[in-house]
Amino acid sequence: MKALVTGANGFLGRHVVDALLARGIEVRAMVRPAARLDAFGWRSSVEIFRADLRTSRDLPHAFEGVDVLIHLAAVVSGGEDAQFAGTVAGTERLLDAMASSGCRRLVLCSSFSVYDYSSTRGTLNEGSPIHQSPDVYTRGGYTVAKWWQERVTRDFVEKHGWDLTVLRPGFIWGRDHGYLAALGQQIGRHHVVIGPLNRIPMTYVENCADVFALAAVDPRARGQTFNVVDGPGERIWKYLSDYMRGSDKPGWRLPIPYWLASTVVRLAFVTVFRRATKVPAILTPRKFEAMLKPLRFENRKLQKTLGWSPPFDYRQSLARTYDPAPQPAKAPASWSSGTAAST
Amino acid sequence: MKAALIGAGQIARQHLACLQTLPGVELAAICDLSPATAEAAAERYEIPSWFTDYRAMLEKARPDVVHVTTPPTSHFRLAMDSLDAGAHVIVEKPATSTLDELEALVQRAEEAGRHVVEDYNYVFNHAPQEILRQIKSGQFGAVTHVEVLICLDILGPGGFADPNSPHPALTLAGGAIADFLPHLASLAHCFVGPHRTAKTVWTKRKPSPLPFDEFRSVVDAERGTAVLGFSSNSQPDAFWLRVYGERMQATANLFETRLTFDGPHNVPKPLRPFFSGLEEGKDIRRAALATLLRKFKGPGAYEGLWEFLARTYGALADKSILPITVSDVIEVNRMVEALKPTEQPR
Repeated sequence: MKALVTGANGFLGRHVVDALLARGIEVRAMVRPAARLDAFGWRSSVEIFRADLRTSRDLPHAFEGVDVLIHLAAVVSGGEDAQFAGTVAGTERLLDAMASSGCRRLVLCSSFSVYDYSSTRGTLNEGSPIHQSPDVYTRGGYTVAKWWQERVTRDFVEKHGWDLTVLRPGFIWGRDHGYLAALGQQIGRHHVVIGPLNRIPMTYVENCADVFALAAVDPRARGQTFNVVDGPGERIWKYLSDYMRGSDKPGWRLPIPYWLASTVVRLAFVTVFRRATKVPAILTPRKFEAMLKPLRFENRKLQKTLGWSPPFDYRQSLARTYDPAPQPAKAPASWSSGTAAST
Repeated sequence: MKAALIGAGQIARQHLACLQTLPGVELAAICDLSPATAEAAAERYEIPSWFTDYRAMLEKARPDVVHVTTPPTSHFRLAMDSLDAGAHVIVEKPATSTLDELEALVQRAEEAGRHVVEDYNYVFNHAPQEILRQIKSGQFGAVTHVEVLICLDILGPGGFADPNSPHPALTLAGGAIADFLPHLASLAHCFVGPHRTAKTVWTKRKPSPLPFDEFRSVVDAERGTAVLGFSSNSQPDAFWLRVYGERMQATANLFETRLTFDGPHNVPKPLRPFFSGLEEGKDIRRAALATLLRKFKGPGAYEGLWEFLARTYGALADKSILPITVSDVIEVNRMVEALKPTEQPR
């Protein structure tokens, strides 16, 4: 079995490549033309395909002999239009190329940002409402691009009768990626923590990568959408304290209750910013909610459908993120068997 | 009046957002090679139809005005076909890759009895318009000289210097900087008129995919002189416009709202610098606040584009003289041609 992985040299992509190899799946790693790969230590069995989804003309060649596409690539920096062009128009070009190949199976990396937090109460799961047009266009470049990427992919899948699995990871964290946008507002070394006891929808990067590798091979994943979180999530205060300790960046934490911050933002919006068209995200009530609203998170569907549980618990994940000498990635026992089930 | 747009990228957002606000203008159709990009723009700006084939759009939507906001090398063909379809054309700068193409385009517009207008948005920002107003009122005195210098870091990996995906502007003579020459030339043109001669210096200070990253020029024009420049290396980003008149001088940063005038004061000559300094300080403080506030609302530094479109549509509706005439477009493009590099990069 051979997988084509886009965004293979990204933070998640590197780990997905390792997870696929650990399951005995051959990997063709798509990376951008100017990407530097020397630090990854990929085995020679990893085939490198250099292309830029926005402009490369030889994308169809990338699918030769490929059984499954794992599409992780997205542009997450730059302006709204750059993100849309890279993430959405790039996906269109990639899937156009796939349509000319024999590959009929894909796993898409979507995002929690497609969910409409404002209309969600209690627990956010795969049944929670997602954004609707035209409201989605008020939610910022990243959300618009990920929402459209999923929409475009589903259109292609319907048109061509492909098998699709959509994975929506929460905040992905790990070595050199400990700081999360959910932590509030950073001012120098100090942190304003809004809703310190709220939980973060989070997944440790190697756990998340394991789900992608599993979804690639497990027929039970076909046609399904899964949220990828390791569990109910740590509380912001606790995760931030582990981050500050682990990364040796001491500072002050100023806790502000969610209801208080939310009231202030709403008041400011009603009185000052309502007519403003370009307000920072955190000062717009709906974007504020999408970043910080207190909800519960679960991975019950992943557990029930695929029998998945995270290979690394929170304590182990912390150690693998912050310990000075990284342990060599030990594959859980089930990985070496080459079968789909991990428990 | 029915408007349509080809190329739903970054600058299109400003055109569409402005068109939504213009009275008597109906946004009828949008076209982009990417179906999702076209459809997303149609949803966001409430445009009834979207296309991936511009010829199909011209045929079905029958627009009165077509906005061409694609990468520059595709402008010529799209603009020609839009004129042939009976539409006026508003084309983003640079209107064409060469002067020959521009002249062919203008000729076709004349034959078709339509207008072709190139967007010189910065001319319509508040500061140049205010300076022009002072000149017209006679307070400023005749303009003797104008300086325009854009300092903009275009060497970052995300834009013109993207190592993964060559930017379309790099195929223009002069590379990425050529994308800015119409701004420099149009500002010089509105203060000192068409050029007679120009001397240029094109250089490269840092390794990058760009053929040049610095540009300077001295221009002799019909009503005065101009010094034009672009620096990719000087920071912070700024768009300096300085106009020298026989009685007054004006300085503006078009990326901000800063505009100061220096002129005669009714005080003894030794005290003039003191009072000038106080007044300039007051204007700069006021501009600092205005620049901060405009971050929350409106088109920001693109204010001129909105003004330009509002005036253009107004003139098209009244059949009056356009804010940018065909002779403006020809003269500015002749100046742009004179500014282009004649040699390959060192």
